[in-house]
Amino acid sequence: MIRFVYIIVGMAVLLLSSGIASGFERFPPPDFESGYEQPSPTTPNPRQDIYEYIDAFVLLAVLSLASYLVLRKRRRRLIFVLSILSLFYFGFWREGCVCPIGAIQNVALSIFDSDYAVPITVMIFFLLPLVFTLFFGRIFCAAVCPLGAIQDVVLLRPTSVPEWLESGLRLFAYVYLAAAVLFAATGSAFIICRYDPFISFFRLSGDFNMLILGVCFLFVGMFIGRPYCRFACPYGIIMRQLSRISKWRVAITPDDCIKCRLCEDSCPFGAIRAPTEDWSPQDYNKNKKLLVVLILLLPVLVFSCGWIGFALRPVTSRMHATVRLADGIYLEETGQAQETTDTSSAFRATGKEVQDLYAEALDIQAEFGLGGWIFGGFVGLVIALKLIVLSLRRQRTDYEAGRAGCLACGRCFEYCPKEHTKRKLAKETIDKS
Amino acid sequence: MAENKNDINRRHFLRNGLWAACLTGLGAITGALSRKCSAQNLFWQIDPEICIACGNCATYCVLEESAVKCVHAYAMCGYCRICFGFFGPEPHDINDAAENQLCPTGAIIRKYLKDDDPYYEYTIDEPLCMGCGKCVLGCNTFGNGSLFLQVRHDRCLNCNECSIAVACPSGAYKRVPADKPYLLKRADSA
Amino acid sequence: MKTQIDDTYKKTPGNTEATSQWYHTAVATAVIGGVFSLIILEVMLFNYFQRTVAEPKRAEKLDALKIQLQQEPDDQQLIFQVLELDPQSDVDPNRVKELEVIQAEIRNNPDDKQLLPRIRQLYLQIKQDRIRQLDLQIRQVRMRRWDLSQKGSYLLLGSVVVLLIGVKSAYAYRKKLPAPQPAPDKRKEQARKAMQARWAVTVGLITFGLTALFLTTRPWIDFSAADMQATSYPSTEEIRKNWPRFRGPGGLGISAYTNVPASWNGKTGEAILWKSKVPLPGHNSPIVWEDRVFVTGADPNNREVYCFDALSGKLLWKRGVTGSTKPIEVMDDGGPGYAAPTAVTDGRRICAIFPTGDVGCFDFDGKNLWTRNLGIPDSGYGHATSLAMYRNLLLIQYDQGGAEDEISKLIALDTFTGRTVWETKRPVPNSWSSPIVAEIGNQHQIITCADPWVIAYEPNGAELWRAKCLGGEIAPSPIYAAGRIFAIEPYATLIAIKPDGRGDVTKTHIDWSIDENTPDTSSPVGNDKFIFLLTTEGMLTCYKTADGTKSWEHEFDYNFLASPSLVGDRLYLLSEKGVMLIAEISTEYKEVAKCELGEDCFATPAFMDGRIYIRGMENLYCIGEEEAPKQP
Repeated sequence: MIRFVYIIVGMAVLLLSSGIASGFERFPPPDFESGYEQPSPTTPNPRQDIYEYIDAFVLLAVLSLASYLVLRKRRRRLIFVLSILSLFYFGFWREGCVCPIGAIQNVALSIFDSDYAVPITVMIFFLLPLVFTLFFGRIFCAAVCPLGAIQDVVLLRPTSVPEWLESGLRLFAYVYLAAAVLFAATGSAFIICRYDPFISFFRLSGDFNMLILGVCFLFVGMFIGRPYCRFACPYGIIMRQLSRISKWRVAITPDDCIKCRLCEDSCPFGAIRAPTEDWSPQDYNKNKKLLVVLILLLPVLVFSCGWIGFALRPVTSRMHATVRLADGIYLEETGQAQETTDTSSAFRATGKEVQDLYAEALDIQAEFGLGGWIFGGFVGLVIALKLIVLSLRRQRTDYEAGRAGCLACGRCFEYCPKEHTKRKLAKETIDKS
Repeated sequence: MAENKNDINRRHFLRNGLWAACLTGLGAITGALSRKCSAQNLFWQIDPEICIACGNCATYCVLEESAVKCVHAYAMCGYCRICFGFFGPEPHDINDAAENQLCPTGAIIRKYLKDDDPYYEYTIDEPLCMGCGKCVLGCNTFGNGSLFLQVRHDRCLNCNECSIAVACPSGAYKRVPADKPYLLKRADSA
Repeated sequence: MKTQIDDTYKKTPGNTEATSQWYHTAVATAVIGGVFSLIILEVMLFNYFQRTVAEPKRAEKLDALKIQLQQEPDDQQLIFQVLELDPQSDVDPNRVKELEVIQAEIRNNPDDKQLLPRIRQLYLQIKQDRIRQLDLQIRQVRMRRWDLSQKGSYLLLGSVVVLLIGVKSAYAYRKKLPAPQPAPDKRKEQARKAMQARWAVTVGLITFGLTALFLTTRPWIDFSAADMQATSYPSTEEIRKNWPRFRGPGGLGISAYTNVPASWNGKTGEAILWKSKVPLPGHNSPIVWEDRVFVTGADPNNREVYCFDALSGKLLWKRGVTGSTKPIEVMDDGGPGYAAPTAVTDGRRICAIFPTGDVGCFDFDGKNLWTRNLGIPDSGYGHATSLAMYRNLLLIQYDQGGAEDEISKLIALDTFTGRTVWETKRPVPNSWSSPIVAEIGNQHQIITCADPWVIAYEPNGAELWRAKCLGGEIAPSPIYAAGRIFAIEPYATLIAIKPDGRGDVTKTHIDWSIDENTPDTSSPVGNDKFIFLLTTEGMLTCYKTADGTKSWEHEFDYNFLASPSLVGDRLYLLSEKGVMLIAEISTEYKEVAKCELGEDCFATPAFMDGRIYIRGMENLYCIGEEEAPKQP
């Protein structure tokens, strides 16, 4: 009994303390003599790997079916139904993880972190849509991506975004991609997952702020077609480039374009390119000079943006937990912060040297310095190339789906009179036989 | 016109080359990573030796009811009459009444083993547990440390970036392979 | 322009105002879906509010009630509190009735002592009832919330789907056929668009640059900068230059300075730089860090930490350490008193402990960083063990009770937060010896002495070695000199232990021991060659550290309570009457000087650059020359 009194006293003494030390054997486990059987903790298994492979297979199947529907069948309604099915499977059923967009980060981390092995299924999720893009264009966006589908569903009254605004806003997606790779490669954060606006809807629960962001995106998405896909999606950026050189791709008309202009406003994503006119010689000369200037500007932009990325390293490196910890510890050590945090207390309990922590943080900052050069350089390159491309002469004789911007949703098919003629012909042929 | 045709041919060639290059590039990434690919999926788990039972698990999970729950390593338990994971500091009385319990949801069941006097068995009623870790802290500080927190994989959504891991002050979250999805405390590891 | 477009639309065949009969159905579906979604959304928002605002408040209230339950009010408070209780807030009708009866009885008979047990029991029951009721309510609300948020989100999803189907089909029924406008001048248009797009991209570039500029102008920490050396704990060099704990750097009683005064007189004021009264008494020794001198003082009811300006002797601040409320009894007369443990500082913080188990930590400006109460130690004379520090750890040798009680322990607190970083049980009874932290090889060892074990710990609390060689009531502290740990059993033995063992080293690592002239209170002091013991009764003995052979001994007519100190090659011995005897280390006792303070002294002085700080029974003295030459 005396022992209990001491225990009570001891507990009273340590009432407000929260010792971090992990427990050790203070009270020896009893030897049971009555045949009492000790239960063992249950360990419910995680989702089995086989289901992950099934997911990958479903992805392959949906991609193939979507390619068939977009390129051969050319029916918007079927594509839409398929996208709804994907929305329910990859979105609401699989609850949005893992998706190819997020897989960018896993791949980036795997390349740079020798300890992290990317699961094969994640690799498949990353690669399959890209391979399909190389062959068939952005099929993934059309009918497979749940993020795209949820935005497609809420799209009610599309208004066209001016081309200049679209070009400007799209820069964000490039920066986002570069930042996502930077943070993933340094093992700091998976920002694409952290700021996924729709994941809360798929899981029917989530952080309140992210829910609000998602609602904002969907609200904007009622009037502007797929704002996330066009202005933010980092995976979309990769697919844009790949679909520029795809083997096959969406054609608005199944036949020759008759330039009836009926499809002109049919694309809610502003991806339809109109035929071009030849430039006046005056414009031509002016543009030539501009082009020279811009090409000379390219290395300057790459370098200066790279430097900006490098100079940003104190800010960017704060995404890394170790640097944040070192920051906090430094503030405490120098008396600038009075309150300690759980994090700093946990660090102190490990007994690690503060100097070592600083050294580690310094190393990570250096990594971010190098990463910053690449990050900034990439952004600079993108901006410079964009300026150059915007000043190049284009030659288009027909109305066609923009190679990069077309999401292969198939909305424009129905606007083409040639399509209707063809369908009528086909129907008649079937009727006849 | 001939020049124009040349132009188109050149463009065509360039495009094909680029296409092949991109395909090779994707292949190269696959090849480079295939060597260190893991056939198993990875899951989040808490290392109980690093966990400081701060309580973030209860609040930061994307699920309303956290996927993290308390687990009991019975082999380490002292089967004490006064359990520091069960009773708050300075319990008013040694019984199951609400004012004496530490657990805010009453998820720990205390059972008297009448054949093994004076021992008491403590089990976790999992549906009630919300992973706040109050009992874990009590058990670690004053007891044997047989209570600890684990991600329960029947509930966990396995987010690509676990939002509790981001908020974890001690960096106790790890990615573990599917064949070892739990990091259980064992009597011999104490 | 707008009307023109509308006109064109209307003129286009197929874009008539006539609508399909399904249009209205679609609109109705949309409205129903929308209203339903709104209602569910509202419920879910309320649910969210519950989680973020209402639930934490309730939990707080519950915690407060639980704490209230732990407090036991005295009779007067009890009656007052029972009268204050509102019967209506209890659910149990019996309890309500009982409370009303009791309240009436108290009012009729305010001085009826016989009522008290009944009142106490009822009060307890009501408190318990309320806790249980609130606890139940919290659990129910949480369960309801979980349930609601799950069902609600599915319902919301369903109703949004209905809404979308309605709205989408309504739009589909109103779909207008395209009517292309007459094209403007394409040539100009495309040039203009390209230019606009270029400008937009440029604006994007500028935004990128400005954002980066904004982000980088905010303050950030350069980890490569030199001030990274500023840490929470001092370097060995910094410690060496100060007197941060009982018996100075490492607790060895050795000063880093040699320019310490050797002549003063408290009565004439010769070489007394300043003299300040210490408000409350205490036997603890002064500690010094640069220009700050700290001592503590206490009486049965108050425990205080004092900070003096080393230059002027001005009391800069005094702070109470209030943890426990109950006064304790210690052996005051001839015993350690109410403030025996010496405080410790790392140059950033000062920590002090009192025999009540109260530990206080302050910064140099006197701001209370944290206070802890470790529980009143069960110590025969009262707790007297001084504090030690290792980096961010405050080390408390908390030996108490008998060895069989298993309540003695070594505690390490984080100096930042006061939280327990680790604690280790010690198989010893109460003791009064202070731990030292010795750098041995490239490892730090925490050395502790008690009956019967000398135990060394790693800074993480793990035990390194132990030797069973002491007995009785251990008061002298260990020292580390000439590669050995020296421990003393009062009136019995001096033991030299080699500190490179592991586990129980009793049989293997005890180098030598002697059993003559060992002190009971004061600690030894030694260098590479000699170790000096000074008994309370005035016997100074010099042994060789190598093998323990006696070199010489000398007997004084004084009593000594303060421990001897070494300054360069001089021994400083402070007698109980305040006479400092200064002797040169040599092959025999050779007195250099004898200085009187004129006040009784219990505490060991602090030796700094050209100065000595001596604590008398009432005053704190600073001895030195006004223009003392600075020695690095």
